[in-house]
Amino acid sequence: MNIVGVAACTVGIAHTYIAQEKLENAAKKAGHEIAIETQGTIGTENELTAEQIAEAHVVILAIDVKISNRERFEGKRIIEVPTEVAVKSPNKLIEKVEKIVEQSYQERESK
Amino acid sequence: MCIALERYQISQLKAGGEKKVEIDNIVDLETIKTNMHAKNKDDALKELAELLLQNEYISDVNGFMTDIYAREAEGQTGIGNYIAIPHGKSSFVKKIGVAIGINEDEIPWETLDGNGVKGVILFAVGNDNDGAQNHLKLLSLFARKLGNDEVVENLLQSKNAEDVKEAFGQ
Repeated sequence: MNIVGVAACTVGIAHTYIAQEKLENAAKKAGHEIAIETQGTIGTENELTAEQIAEAHVVILAIDVKISNRERFEGKRIIEVPTEVAVKSPNKLIEKVEKIVEQSYQERESK
Repeated sequence: MCIALERYQISQLKAGGEKKVEIDNIVDLETIKTNMHAKNKDDALKELAELLLQNEYISDVNGFMTDIYAREAEGQTGIGNYIAIPHGKSSFVKKIGVAIGINEDEIPWETLDGNGVKGVILFAVGNDNDGAQNHLKLLSLFARKLGNDEVVENLLQSKNAEDVKEAFGQ
């Protein structure tokens, strides 16, 4: 599965980057492709490309604040959680994401 | 000119992946304390803030602590695995840096997993970060490492400042 996402916390110094690292590690461990953009004090880094977004099966937003350019994800399946969920239980979050995506594809097929 | 140079340095860091340079710029042996015996959060924060003051990262302990507590009030800074990352932006910060404390016993702290804390990483970041892009970048790379279980495990086992530095070098 291809996952893209954005991490952004209130201060933009610590949780943003810890969430990025944890999500990336958890997704890779589960055999997925993942790219997480960070929006912090330093600005936007690891900016997602239009291609990455187009190819993504799901978008994870691990955010505590409003993010910029959210409209890029319009029409995509978006899973939004606070950064602390990504920090606390990244593996569980990825499992949940897998289930949600699987379900949505099954629903689509049965239609 | 200055900004251009910093951008150049960042791109060099990215290109070369020079991990050692990154870590050397943020992890300062002078602001690391192992075998600490703080009994509570306040003791630990004060001890680490003193280190930041002595090494000229901040200009005032009490003022800095007030800003740190403002962030503490907003939500848990204990990220689980016995690690806490108190931080906040403060006008009392003179240069971006971190103080790292490894405590002998668990300190009660508001954490995501309900456990106490043994490793405290106190971030010092100013309100005005113009011209500090390079250091902010290094700090973000440093923060990222705290999301790595292996780094955290080695960090908590550190017996001296060199061990701590090495833990982040992985």
